[in-house]
Amino acid sequence: MAGIEISALTKEFPGGVQALNGLDLSIADGEFFALLGPSGCGKTTLLRTIAGLETPTSGSVRIGDRDVTRLPPGARNVAMVFQDYALFPHMTIEDNIAYPLKIRRQARETRLKHAHDVGSQLGLDGLMRRRPAELSGGQQQRVALARAVACHPSAFLFDEPLSNLDARLRLEARTFLKRLQRQLGVTTVFVTHDQAEALALADRIAVMEAGRIRQIGTPREVFGRPANTFVAGFIGSTPMNLLPGVVRDGAVLVAAQQLSVLDVPDGEVVVGVRPEYVAVTENGPLAGAVATVENLGTSSLVTVDVDGLSIGAVVPEDREVEPGTRVALNPTRVLVYRDGELVS
Amino acid sequence: MIGVFLVFPGLWTLYIGATNFRLTGVSAREPDFVGLDNFERALTDQTFYHSLWLTLIFVFGSAVVGQNGLGFTLAWALRDARKWIRRTLEALVLLAWILPSSVVAFLWIAMLDRDGGTINALLGTVPGIAWTVEYPLLSIIVFNIWRGTAFSMMLYSAALSSIPPSHLETARLAGSSGTQTLRDVVFPHIKRHALTNTLLITLWTFNDFTPFLITASDYDAEIIATFIYNKAIVGGEMGYSGAISLLVLLMNLLLALVYLRVARRRLA
Amino acid sequence: MMLVVKRILTYVVMGVGTAFFALPVLWLLSAPLDDTPTYAVRPPRTFSLDNFASIMDNRYAVASLVNSTILSLGTMVLVVSAAALAAYALSRARVPGRDALIYLLLLLSSVVTGTAAMVPIFLLIFQLGLIDSHFGVILVLTGGLLPAAIFLLKDFIDTIPPSFEESARVFGASPLQILRQIVVPVARPGLATIAVWTVVQVWGSFLTPFILLRDPDKQPAAVLVRTFYTEGGSPNLGLIAAFSLLYSIPVVLMYLLAWSRYGFRFHGGIKT
Ligand SMILES: Nc1ncnc2c1ncn2[C@@H]1O[C@H](COP(=O)(O)OP(=O)(O)OP(=O)(O)O)[C@@H](O)[C@H]1O
Ligand SMILES: [Mg+2]
Repeated sequence: MAGIEISALTKEFPGGVQALNGLDLSIADGEFFALLGPSGCGKTTLLRTIAGLETPTSGSVRIGDRDVTRLPPGARNVAMVFQDYALFPHMTIEDNIAYPLKIRRQARETRLKHAHDVGSQLGLDGLMRRRPAELSGGQQQRVALARAVACHPSAFLFDEPLSNLDARLRLEARTFLKRLQRQLGVTTVFVTHDQAEALALADRIAVMEAGRIRQIGTPREVFGRPANTFVAGFIGSTPMNLLPGVVRDGAVLVAAQQLSVLDVPDGEVVVGVRPEYVAVTENGPLAGAVATVENLGTSSLVTVDVDGLSIGAVVPEDREVEPGTRVALNPTRVLVYRDGELVS
Repeated sequence: MIGVFLVFPGLWTLYIGATNFRLTGVSAREPDFVGLDNFERALTDQTFYHSLWLTLIFVFGSAVVGQNGLGFTLAWALRDARKWIRRTLEALVLLAWILPSSVVAFLWIAMLDRDGGTINALLGTVPGIAWTVEYPLLSIIVFNIWRGTAFSMMLYSAALSSIPPSHLETARLAGSSGTQTLRDVVFPHIKRHALTNTLLITLWTFNDFTPFLITASDYDAEIIATFIYNKAIVGGEMGYSGAISLLVLLMNLLLALVYLRVARRRLA
Repeated sequence: MMLVVKRILTYVVMGVGTAFFALPVLWLLSAPLDDTPTYAVRPPRTFSLDNFASIMDNRYAVASLVNSTILSLGTMVLVVSAAALAAYALSRARVPGRDALIYLLLLLSSVVTGTAAMVPIFLLIFQLGLIDSHFGVILVLTGGLLPAAIFLLKDFIDTIPPSFEESARVFGASPLQILRQIVVPVARPGLATIAVWTVVQVWGSFLTPFILLRDPDKQPAAVLVRTFYTEGGSPNLGLIAAFSLLYSIPVVLMYLLAWSRYGFRFHGGIKT
């Protein structure tokens, strides 16, 4: 088991696409680490570079105390689970799981026994003689995991392993994955473009944009204090309100109303506040009419027009309002961004 | 790869074409370099033009019109025929295509024979016509249609089945007639396939040697393939036939390029 | 009214079509069983299997079938292994303009292996001293079939996701292991198709063995069948018919096999 150190990693594809741009990253031993970002930001490329499937243009990758930058993938002792699982269709499940051991020239009996052990650990008993095409998506996903587990790697690399499952199965698999990682304690890098998944699973999250890392932190940090407006807009199942505002003598003003007093220099700013932290009350600093109400199950997202600004607020199910009603909003946990970066 | 398959044979043919290589005699051992003489000779040779003309008729009649037309007609007619009819006819057409060429050639020699041939029996011609002698070009054209229609038929059925049924139904709902549907819905869809198909069958027919097996060296059916064979293998004039081969190659290339140009302009 | 006319027209087209395509082949079925076959298509007058017996008596007939087999299998082995390697490399390499290139190659290979290539190929083989050698014929046929085989196979390998090989690579498999344990098994239906296709092509090929093999002991069935004449100089119809039938059966069987195993996958370049 080992941590992963990445320094000044750059990858430029032929044709000039700069997929990774001077990336620094340090993943601790045993950590569950998520790479999060919109499509095309370079998550897969980063993961593949760690695995050795892509050679970096410059920079280095260390796994444990070895510099593996120039090592072939097979020598890095990592296991990767692909988005399509890459189960070999011509092999049975047991042969699939035992395949890494076959490469290591273990005797057929040893490796099959090991495959069965891992298989039953992952709830695959009774499926071992089937072929991948005869399994459901969720079962296939577990076979792919089992195959990764079977080779006892020093790190797991997962590329969107849950994105091929339907919404319900995904939640189940998520819990399963988290428990498995806790049990094994193996360093895990997990790629996803689903922020909820990253928040739910990871010990720490790196949010990427266009080949760079925009913020690294625990789910709480990334959710509660996004370091910049990009992360702020990306994290959260209901998008954060990002409102034009000004700071005058330490007072933060939106729509000419004071929201809070903070220790920041004067000037134009962007004020961020999560809909979850906006209370709909009888008397708050901001007032306006309810435009739409979207039901989210246990709560509702209410959009309120305040002097031409649309502000979202999440209200619990027992506090619902009708469209058209005039309400007041009381934002709390106000964040202030200047030039896109968090200042307070 | 390209080197092995294109450049080398091309240069080799060019080299041969530029010598007076013969299979026997002095020039077999030490072929002299004669430059463009062979090409000059070809371009002034009446028999070469004769053979080229026959080839054009043969290709146009049997491939461009015959296989294309019959292939499409069959694909269209079989489109919603009953399954067993469709299967049977398809299997027969396919059989004509997969049987070895020496066998099918003989089958047609039998069909076209003067005395016992089935064609004469069907037409009731007494005394029979020796088709391969009196109408050699027609014989090989009909033969080649029979032989090669399978490819066009399969390609067109694949193309027809790829037309979204909703388009055909829209045409039906709009009350358009059969020919209108063909013109407005079907043809635009299969244009590209038609072009590819025509190009491929043209090239194949151009280079097909099987007609030789039916009409042998008959002068009135001496298409280019036979012509080259007669000059080179029978006559031993390697240099001269090499030059002609190169000319044929260039013609094929030109044909392919023209098709590609049309394809790009029309369909891009 | 229109509908009736249309229906009748359709049936006429199909009837004539069936007759046109069936008649020549009927001879192949009836004549071999006829004691005294003629050119006419007719049911056997006196049923007999003598014609088949006479194949056994012919010194060259059986040998020629063996020759056909040697040529087919030899070419098949070469084509399949070379095409597998080339198609794999081409499918996985990232070369700009690759598809256009392969298409051009395919297009021209059908030209280069046609009659236009007869002279250069003959001379090449002549100078290499490979006239009358099966190996020479196999080489030439392989060269001719390879581009189309690569084209067909590449289509197939393109459908294998690269993640299969990458996954194996991460587990530490060597390129050779990947090819043997992953790519070849997954591509097996494609390889089988190519193998069948090659055998059928070579089995029926006439021109190349015709000009490259002079010795009747070495000639395959395609060439030999043209030499069956009676002492009087007229074609020995019984022998020709029986032999043709015998010689055609494997081709038809292989097509049926390929058809039933893998369905009929239509490829643009299945015949060169
Ligand atoms: N083999 C390649 N050649 C050229 N460019 C590539 C290649 N692979 C990826 N790219 C480019 O690199 C950038 C990053 O791609 P990458 O696959 O890492 O994105 P991603 O974050 O995984 O996106 P997604 O969420 O859609 O999977 C993209 O702009 C992509 O177009
Ligand atoms: Mg990705």
